[in-house]
This record gives sequence, C-alpha cells and structure tokens, in this order.
Amino acid sequence: MHSLRNSNLADSNSEKRNNRRWVNRYQTGNFLKRNILAALLSAVACMPAISAELPVPALVVPAVQEHHVGKIVFVELVTPDIAAAKQFYGGLFNWTFHDIDTKMGKYTEALMNGQAVAGFIHRPVAANQHKQPAWLSFIAVRDVDAVKKAAVEHGGKVLYEPHDIPDRGREAVFADPQGAVFAVLASTNGDPADVLAANGEWIWSSLITVDPDTDAAFYQDLFDYEVFELPAGPKTQHLMFASENFARASANSLPSDKAITPPHWLNYVRVDDTAKMAAKVIALGGHVLVEPRIDRHGGKVAVVADTSGAPFGLIEWPDTEIKEISK
Amino acid sequence: MITIFWRKSLAIAVLGLLVLPLTACVVAGGGYGYDGNASVGVDYYEPVGGVYGVWGPGYQVGPYRDGGHFHGGNGVHPYRSAAPGRSVPSIPSHSRGRH
Repeated sequence: MHSLRNSNLADSNSEKRNNRRWVNRYQTGNFLKRNILAALLSAVACMPAISAELPVPALVVPAVQEHHVGKIVFVELVTPDIAAAKQFYGGLFNWTFHDIDTKMGKYTEALMNGQAVAGFIHRPVAANQHKQPAWLSFIAVRDVDAVKKAAVEHGGKVLYEPHDIPDRGREAVFADPQGAVFAVLASTNGDPADVLAANGEWIWSSLITVDPDTDAAFYQDLFDYEVFELPAGPKTQHLMFASENFARASANSLPSDKAITPPHWLNYVRVDDTAKMAAKVIALGGHVLVEPRIDRHGGKVAVVADTSGAPFGLIEWPDTEIKEISK
Repeated sequence: MITIFWRKSLAIAVLGLLVLPLTACVVAGGGYGYDGNASVGVDYYEPVGGVYGVWGPGYQVGPYRDGGHFHGGNGVHPYRSAAPGRSVPSIPSHSRGRH
C-alpha cells in the first residue's frame, strides 16, 4: 500500500513536472511567436517611413576619385507633370526611368543605356501661377560654401542655400549677375568621367546672357575657367569657358529680342540628326524655338521645348571630323 | 500569465514603432532637411519667357571640334583671357570605356 501510494505519488509528481515542462514550452513558443509577430508588424508599419526617405541616387556609381571643377555634371528638370515628361523624353531619346518616392516628393531618375542622364522633380503649379519649367544645370565644385561666398561677392544671388543631399553631395542654387540660374554640386561619389557623350546624352551647354563679358568674369571667379573669345555675328559675343583643357560651355549674347527671353543656361543633347529630332519633338507635343541651323563645327543645332515648355538644345556631333561650313 | 505576454508583446510592438522610423532616418542620412518647402535645390526659378530669341546669321553656340590657335582677347575685359597662342580646347573625344 505504502509502496503503491509512493508509486502513485511519484506518478503524480512526474505528471506535474511534465505538465510544467509542457506549459513552459507552450509559453515560450507563444512568447516567441507573439514577439516575432509584433516585430514584423512594427517593420511593416514602418515601411512607408523607410521608403519615403530613400535618397536621390548618387551621381556616380561606384564612387570615383575624379573631380572636374567647372564641368556641367548633371541636369534636373522641375516639372508639374512627371508622367508627361517621361512620355516625351522617353519617346524622343529612348530614355528609361526609375521612380523614387521621397518625402520631398516624386523624383524620377532618367537613364540612357543604364547611365543616369537626368533627374525629374515634381512641383505642382497652381492655375494662377506663371511658372516656367526649366532644366537646371549643375556645375561641379569641391567646396559649395566657398563658391557661395565668391558668388555673393561677385554679384550673384543665392536662390537656395548650400545643403546636403544624402548620397548625392552638397549643392546650392544661384543666379548670376544677369539673372541666369545655375546650381553647383560637390558630388559625394566624385564626378562623371570626361568622355564623349553618346547620342541621347547631354553634350554641351550655353549661357545665353545680356552681358557675356561680365558673366565670364563672374564664372571665372567661381570655377577658374579659361576664357576664349571666338568669332561671332554682328553685335553679338561668343565666349568659350574651358577647364582641364576641355571646353565646358559657351557664353553668348542674347539675341536681338533679348527683352523677351531672360538670361538662361541652355543644355544640349547629342543627336545624330537634328532636323529629324526636331520633327519628333513636334510629334510628341513639344515645340521648336530655334529651327535647325548649321553651327560652327558643321553640325546642326536647334532649340526646342518639351510639353511643359522647358527649353533645351539638340546638337549633332558626328564621330568623324567634318569641315566647318561657312557661316 | 497570458496577459503578461500580451503586455510584453504590445510593449515591443510600440517600441518597434517608435525606434524603427528613427533608424530609417539615420540610414537615409536624416532626410533632405525637410522643411515643407523644396528640399532639393530644384524649383521654378526661371522667369517666364515669351518668344524665344531669334538666332540671326553668324550666331553660333557649339564647341570647336579641332581647336585652332587662340589669337588673344581683343580689348579690355573684366575677365582674364586665355593666353595668346593657346589652342582652343574642344569637348572630350574618347567614348565611354575607351579612355
């Protein structure tokens, strides 16, 4: 009896121990499940916050050590309609696009053969606002704040104070003494290599301004450009800015009806047939502002505007040298 | 016992909700200095233009292809002209991957 009672007691204790183990296992399992679930829920809840803060892409991937002060290294278009811009530039140059949602709004990276060629930034325009969508040129610098100081000292205006863009670098936006708007960028990952642009890529830039002399001094102070005077038409000036023994941009007098067009930077995309591409611009809903015409190097150049009115240039640059055609 | 587990779970979930967005900010570099306005430098800066200028005869904008010697600046300018005899630079001539 005693032994039976002992045996029953032992069984009962063993059962209790088993039950406790089971309860512990059950509780541990539940604890893990619930906390993993909680962590997952937290992560899911935070996804919009994370994706909303994706930075704009770096200028150069992978990072390089080269810097080309004075080179126009990037352009960005501010537009009220990114979808229309994608349709237009995709149709014209076969650019492809990569959309990035950021807290500051929609940003679209435009690519040509996998290389970043431009950025589109969405900004709404109210019906009563008269805003001009435009391409903004970014000129490479090493020290944005030092350039800001020089710009202000030489008659420029700060339109957007120097600020850091994650992954991209430090940038600022200025107006030169004549009012033409440009940006400077100290790229975190270095600057794009000095190579010949392919068709569909930006190849050249012009500053169209009231007083090329004054502006040349201004930009020389900022970027240490060499300045060359080139032959020009009657009552006009044509200067060329160079750095590192490469031509970087031209400075031209505003045409005779300069009261209508404000001073501005104009960027050109390399094309194989300017006339054909100008016709394509019209077919896509854009406009031709300056009809295709022979330029200094023998190739044709034209000025066009996209569907939102942002002007840009088209320029031929044949691979083989061609003789300059009489002006 | 189960109530304690739920409390712990809830506490972790709330902690996760509070901490992860902060982590995301750190990862993204603190955002763009969001201030409710344009946060990358681009905006509608250009004055509204009317008719684009008419480029008359001799109006040229493109780069030189083959240089040629610079003969020096004529007259007095507010900028420093390139040295006389200096070859006028062109744009880069090497294609990507061949330089």
